[in-house]
Amino acid sequence: MNWLVEQLGILSKIFYFLIQVVHWTIIISVLAYLIALICGLFFGVARITSNRFIRWLAGAYINVLRGVPLLVLIFFFYFGLGKIINLDRLVAGVLAVGVCYGAYMAEIFRSGIEAIDYGQHEAAMSLGMTRWQTLRHIILPQSFRIVVPPAANEFIACLKDSSLVSIIGLRELTRAGREYANQYFLDFQTWLMVGLIYLILTLSLTRLVKVLEKKFAVHGYGVEKK
Amino acid sequence: MIIDVKNIVCRFDEIAAVDNVSLAVDKGEVVCIIGPSGSGKSTLLRCLNALEDIQEGEIIIDGFRIDSRHKEIHQIRLEVGMVFQNFNLFPHLTVLKNVNLAQRVVRKRKRDEATRISNELLNKVGLTDKINAFPGQLSGGQKQRVAIARALAMNPKIMLFDEVTSALDPEMIGEVLEVMKQLAKEGMTMLVVTHEIGFAREVANRIILIDEGKIVEEGTPEQVLDNPQNQRTREFLGKVL
Repeated sequence: MNWLVEQLGILSKIFYFLIQVVHWTIIISVLAYLIALICGLFFGVARITSNRFIRWLAGAYINVLRGVPLLVLIFFFYFGLGKIINLDRLVAGVLAVGVCYGAYMAEIFRSGIEAIDYGQHEAAMSLGMTRWQTLRHIILPQSFRIVVPPAANEFIACLKDSSLVSIIGLRELTRAGREYANQYFLDFQTWLMVGLIYLILTLSLTRLVKVLEKKFAVHGYGVEKK
Repeated sequence: MIIDVKNIVCRFDEIAAVDNVSLAVDKGEVVCIIGPSGSGKSTLLRCLNALEDIQEGEIIIDGFRIDSRHKEIHQIRLEVGMVFQNFNLFPHLTVLKNVNLAQRVVRKRKRDEATRISNELLNKVGLTDKINAFPGQLSGGQKQRVAIARALAMNPKIMLFDEVTSALDPEMIGEVLEVMKQLAKEGMTMLVVTHEIGFAREVANRIILIDEGKIVEEGTPEQVLDNPQNQRTREFLGKVL
């Protein structure tokens, strides 16, 4: 009984220690995800433009960034690029995770766009709309609904992979866990708690995604009565 | 002459879907194009809207040469309305917005003006009570009538109809043909790819029969349907009549 109380005490101490930096994990993942969204949308659309060079460029971006381990990217951005143009840990870390996830997001956006029936393009074009107008008013609004579930999953993955930036000294959840474990030699309890906090974050996101999916999947497709 | 097609060839992988076709259509004329499936009638129609590229010949519509690589192709497409077999309504927009959208972004009309025009056209095709419905809530015949209103909203000089009743249940074909008859009466220039021989006989000024990418028979409905000169026309009519 005493042992259990003691353990719970330790765990709650660790929890309070970690919860003070959890906002950094959230900030890093949200910023990285925003970059990923922008890169993804841009390169996803670029992948299917008529301009051969832009298409090639987008393909190269996607293949290179998907083909290199994220950890290596983080090292490259912080130790490599960071030394040359003087990047702060946070900027380097967020950029590395952001552009990496941008490559995955680009493929998700591309598949979302390609999933729309070609007849939609033809109808829009026959009304005199340009490619850009067609994309903006007809294709993308329909693609977004398809893209929501996989894009949200990428955010969950992004949140988990944000733990990798701990290696360049960004004090987020994983880094703080390492500090605590090293200081008090409480590895088992610390990593248990770190894992638990990540789990709480990802599970609440999963719930949120379900809500979003419902909201976006039905709206506008006319199956529902107003 | 509002449409002037000269010796066009449209190939897919070396196979000519449209093979050296020439066709001239005057303003206000209704031309029905009939023929077996896979004969190239839809392809011919799609060439007129630059939805398919032609490899040889030229198409001139209202004085403009049609070329999909041409920068002003969007401007030229404005003059040519098209209605598709599969409706191709925008499923994420209401009926009203389907008809409004291109008026707003392409014709640059103000919202009020676009809505007024849309309401007028939707009234004309008998769908006033459906303006706030989504395409998914409509029957096939209703969808196709929205598609017609949507094309008309751009004030096209020519309307192309690509087998617009082929995907409809039989009881809905009539309501769509009725709208098309009305349009023809108003003097719209129309090219209609159709399997509705009865409609062609009643409405067309001219009927063209296409087989294997070539025009094999051309003339008034009486000439083509009642007194065909070509053996292939007789075979085709024998099957469909």
